[in-house]
Amino acid sequence: MTALLDRPWIWAWLAAIAAFAATAAIGQSQGIAGLLVAALTFSAFTTLVGLGQMFVITLGPGNIDLSIPATMTLAATLSLKFMGGAGALALPGFALALAIGLGAGLANYALIWLLRIPPIIATLAASFVYQSLAIWSNRGLRIKPPEILSDAMLGRTLGLPNVAYVALLLCGLAWVVLERARFGREVTAIGQNPRAARRVGIPVERVRCATYVLCAALAALAGFLLACFSGGAALNMGQEYLLSSIAVVVIGGSSIGGGRSNVPGVPAGALFLFLVVSMLNSYGLGAGVRLLLTGIIIVGIVALGARPRTAE
Amino acid sequence: MKAATCLALTTALVVGTAATADTPDKRIALSNNYAGNSWRQAMLESWEAATSQAVSGGIVAAADAFTTAENQATEQAAQIQNMILQGYDAIVLNAASPTALNGAVKEACDAGIVVVSFDGIVEEPCAWRIAVDFEQMGRDQIEYLANRLPEGGALLEIRGLAGVFVDDAISRGIHDGVAAHPDFTIAGSVNGDWAQDVAQRAVAGILPSLPEIVGVATQGGDGYGAAQAFEAAGRDMPIIVLGNRQDELQWWAEQRDASGYETMSVSIAPGVSTLAFWVAQQVLDGAEVPKDLTVPFLRIDQADLDAALETTPEGGVANTEYDLEAARKVISDAAS
Repeated sequence: MTALLDRPWIWAWLAAIAAFAATAAIGQSQGIAGLLVAALTFSAFTTLVGLGQMFVITLGPGNIDLSIPATMTLAATLSLKFMGGAGALALPGFALALAIGLGAGLANYALIWLLRIPPIIATLAASFVYQSLAIWSNRGLRIKPPEILSDAMLGRTLGLPNVAYVALLLCGLAWVVLERARFGREVTAIGQNPRAARRVGIPVERVRCATYVLCAALAALAGFLLACFSGGAALNMGQEYLLSSIAVVVIGGSSIGGGRSNVPGVPAGALFLFLVVSMLNSYGLGAGVRLLLTGIIIVGIVALGARPRTAE
Repeated sequence: MKAATCLALTTALVVGTAATADTPDKRIALSNNYAGNSWRQAMLESWEAATSQAVSGGIVAAADAFTTAENQATEQAAQIQNMILQGYDAIVLNAASPTALNGAVKEACDAGIVVVSFDGIVEEPCAWRIAVDFEQMGRDQIEYLANRLPEGGALLEIRGLAGVFVDDAISRGIHDGVAAHPDFTIAGSVNGDWAQDVAQRAVAGILPSLPEIVGVATQGGDGYGAAQAFEAAGRDMPIIVLGNRQDELQWWAEQRDASGYETMSVSIAPGVSTLAFWVAQQVLDGAEVPKDLTVPFLRIDQADLDAALETTPEGGVANTEYDLEAARKVISDAAS
């Protein structure tokens, strides 16, 4: 039990479960299943962008990707425009969205490496370019996704939403990559001490490049899925994923200073963010109180998760 | 005789145009604080359409649009100061804040520049204000719901972006309306940030804790998301007041054809930017224009649905653009 409590991600799960219980307590019985489905659905998108952001943050101080919202918007806008609602183009459209993610990731890294701009500035600047491209390409018109894709995104398998399976699968992959694969070890090593990592022969810049590309690709995937889910891409669709992508990483127990990350904490943080808003909404609290309480609760979880560990 | 008639006609024509346009050398700038949603994009397109005609027709010399990147009042104040230095004769302004730009606006007025604010208006008295009665928009929704649901019931309110004055104003109107119709209660209130996917997320989160909902009051850009959330939860579809987005109207038409669904849709036409342009042109022309003007909402009722769907671009927003005549009518209505 103490070993479990020492896991930095346990607090995010406990908080998510508590928020679920508190919301379910004032709902009707058939509403509980509904709440669970809604929570799994919407936190899936946050989980995807959170995983990417977690890899970037793990690279160490100063590494962050602020272009996630714009990459989501650009990938979703261009791929939905390309498909134009035609089901036959679903696969090429999906590939296009991922390609845009790859391109955005490479562009982000090019700014960071070639121009030696700090990531926070480079990705912010790049995000203006991506957002402008999205505006320029379609002037904010909302194009419907192909029915086959929107049905797939809205559909359920064994009672649980399909998007949740996508998020679960990617969490599993991320865990394997981070804990078992060479690449994950290298990311962590760079985050803990970049100079030592370089000395032992880790190709630091290549790993950083791959990490930014991975993050942008996950953002593009999340944007594509979200647009198919909600009936079209919108210019402001990525907005709330900027802060939440960082929040779920921190709530989930990863170190904001890098070098220590936690895959299980990311979906917990995403569930918690959705459920805490639902809970405070359900108790009829206004936006001001809601934001205040959300902030206090997040600080509390992060403080608990960051306690010095006895097991280490 | 023929030549004389021709001459007379030409003179009349020249006199006629001179009376409407004493502004061919005037330059007007649009200072816009945000462009990141479909409504703002439609607003900018309307501006472009109306002003490019006015420029090529020689009514004004230039009508350039500028949008700030970050939706910050400080950034927009700097933008206005640049416009003063660039020597524009008028600035048409959709402001990030009703108060934070007052200093910059005053500087512009002192430099002899006509400032016309619209949609996001400024309080500085030297500027013209083309305001939308947002509170009325909230009250009208409850009026409509009260007509449709005389026995009352539980309502869900979807608000906009917390901390923006438009959100407060519409919400105040909705709550006023509910106070006037005590059979209604607001069972829940969420922030949809005027975005379909945010609204969908917020509504999906609160629905499990709500009793049966008979009506949904909205602020625009959030109705379709709410409908999706109700559908996904398998709840009875309440009367959702919509906000003139094409996907909302499309959904409404589908529901109407399938089950006779009835509702109404109300929002501000993005073409209000063209009204602001003509007001600025009229002020430059020396016309008497009252400082406070009000734009009517664009409301779509059941009977207007098909016509509105036909004229709204796919994925866009229902719109009305103003020409000089329509703008003059708004001005004379306000003066009387």
